[in-house]
Amino acid sequence: MESVPLFLDVHTLLEASQPRPRVSWTQFMIAGFVLAIFLSWFVGRTSQPPQMQQAISTLIGIGLAFFVGSVAFAGFVGVRRARAEYAAVGAVEELIQLRRWPEAGLLLQTMLSRPARSPFSRAQLLLYLSMVLARYHRFEDSVTVHDYVLHEIPLDDATEHAVRLARAMSLLREDNLLDADRAISELRRASRGMESAGLALVEIYRDVKTGHPAEAVEMFESRLQVMRKQLGHRAADVWALAARAYDLLGRTTDARAAFENATLLTPLAEIVRRYPEVEPLSKTYVPAPAPAEVA
Amino acid sequence: MNMLPVDVAITRFRRDLTIAAVLRALLVAAAIGCCVAGPVFGHDGMFVLVFVGAVWMLLSYRSMQGTRIAADSPSLIAAGEFERAENHIDTALRSFSLFRTAKLLSLHHLALLRHAQRRWRESALLSQAVLSQKLGNLNGLARTTLLLLADSMLQLGDLKGAFDAMNRIYRYRLSLGEALTLQMLQLDYGSRIGAWESMLQGVGGKVQMAELMPTLNAARSQAFLSLAAHKSGRLDLASWLRKRAQLLAEPKDIASDRPILEEVFRQ
Repeated sequence: MESVPLFLDVHTLLEASQPRPRVSWTQFMIAGFVLAIFLSWFVGRTSQPPQMQQAISTLIGIGLAFFVGSVAFAGFVGVRRARAEYAAVGAVEELIQLRRWPEAGLLLQTMLSRPARSPFSRAQLLLYLSMVLARYHRFEDSVTVHDYVLHEIPLDDATEHAVRLARAMSLLREDNLLDADRAISELRRASRGMESAGLALVEIYRDVKTGHPAEAVEMFESRLQVMRKQLGHRAADVWALAARAYDLLGRTTDARAAFENATLLTPLAEIVRRYPEVEPLSKTYVPAPAPAEVA
Repeated sequence: MNMLPVDVAITRFRRDLTIAAVLRALLVAAAIGCCVAGPVFGHDGMFVLVFVGAVWMLLSYRSMQGTRIAADSPSLIAAGEFERAENHIDTALRSFSLFRTAKLLSLHHLALLRHAQRRWRESALLSQAVLSQKLGNLNGLARTTLLLLADSMLQLGDLKGAFDAMNRIYRYRLSLGEALTLQMLQLDYGSRIGAWESMLQGVGGKVQMAELMPTLNAARSQAFLSLAAHKSGRLDLASWLRKRAQLLAEPKDIASDRPILEEVFRQ
């Protein structure tokens, strides 16, 4: 029986999306141009009959015009294809922002199944792929993509930090606590005192997961303002984890308030999907009620 | 910081566009002339054709350089490096370009810079200068310039101008980021004309859109919706939206540019 190809198979997609080396037309263009000038000059110097000279000049002219036209056409087609790829990358980004995960996955499968035109687009698509894989709880695959991106693609500092954060979160989700702890230590070293809400979130999650609620609460209380500013609506994650930490410490009033804030920003089902450790709280505390118009 | 005067920039932009158009027409006419009259002039015509091709390529290369200089400006503006952005834009506007796109982009970037510097009148003038040109298939440029213009007009208190700019945006298919900006502008405009009920139309979708915005805009959008809900007597909704906004940002930051929102946090 023929085996069905796996949806978003990481190794296949990494292989298939490698950009192919392209032929540079610049040297041909320069050579053609020089040849045309040389021929033109040579024809003018030879002692051939004027009709012959005229015919050769016309031929060179047509050839040159065809050559310039074909270079312009090739440039036009290249620009169109690059624009189409850029638009497709933008479309994947929008689908992910809108949380339309199946469509984003399908588009990524299509785009990464063929050689990318530019390494930049490929890097973007691989980062989106890791997000979609994490959403489908395929954390091991997600870490594979992160490792590939970190080792094979040159990244600016901010992007590298974001990739390392996502990797640490995936490691935590797949209960690979040893590697996660190492990843967090590396992140802390690399951040050099820079205030990163993402790093604080990962550390709080690690502390909640490993049964260190006091450390989680300390981190939450000291970094709340930064996390609020940088995380936007994802601050719901921090409130939810803080609620769990307060609850583990027996601080039920604080836990109730934090749980209410978390569920005010994000529905409970979504929070539990992201952090299964928060689920027991739903039996003890009441989520913030949403008005009918927005429920 | 040495600022490029807006009227000088616009005059230079228009002059350069005219010169480039004339030069393009001349080069094309010379090339056609060489092909048509080539047999009459013999290989001299050939030389002229080669010369025209070389000039075209040289000018195209220079235009590409200008485009590259212009391409750096948005990231500099986003990073708050206004002085460097000003220098880049000034260089791009001074450099010759055979094609309109580079010049249009540079002027648009100057409008973007003035907007970031909160010089609303100048930003509006520059946006209008960009939009007065035939933008052809530069739909992306037209959309972002219209959004800039609408916001600058709102900040200037020119509600009619803001309404006209927003009306023109409806002709285009917007990206998600542009749709989010437009929603913010619509809520701001709605609050200024007291259109509370229309602000609340499809409130569920608007709240979901607000969740995709950067933190301060997300808080501000929900504060606008809270104000509208309060004015319409939907107090539960108003309170829920206000609490969400407060979880995202401090009330003084939310109301910093929009004093009308102070009312939300007095409730």
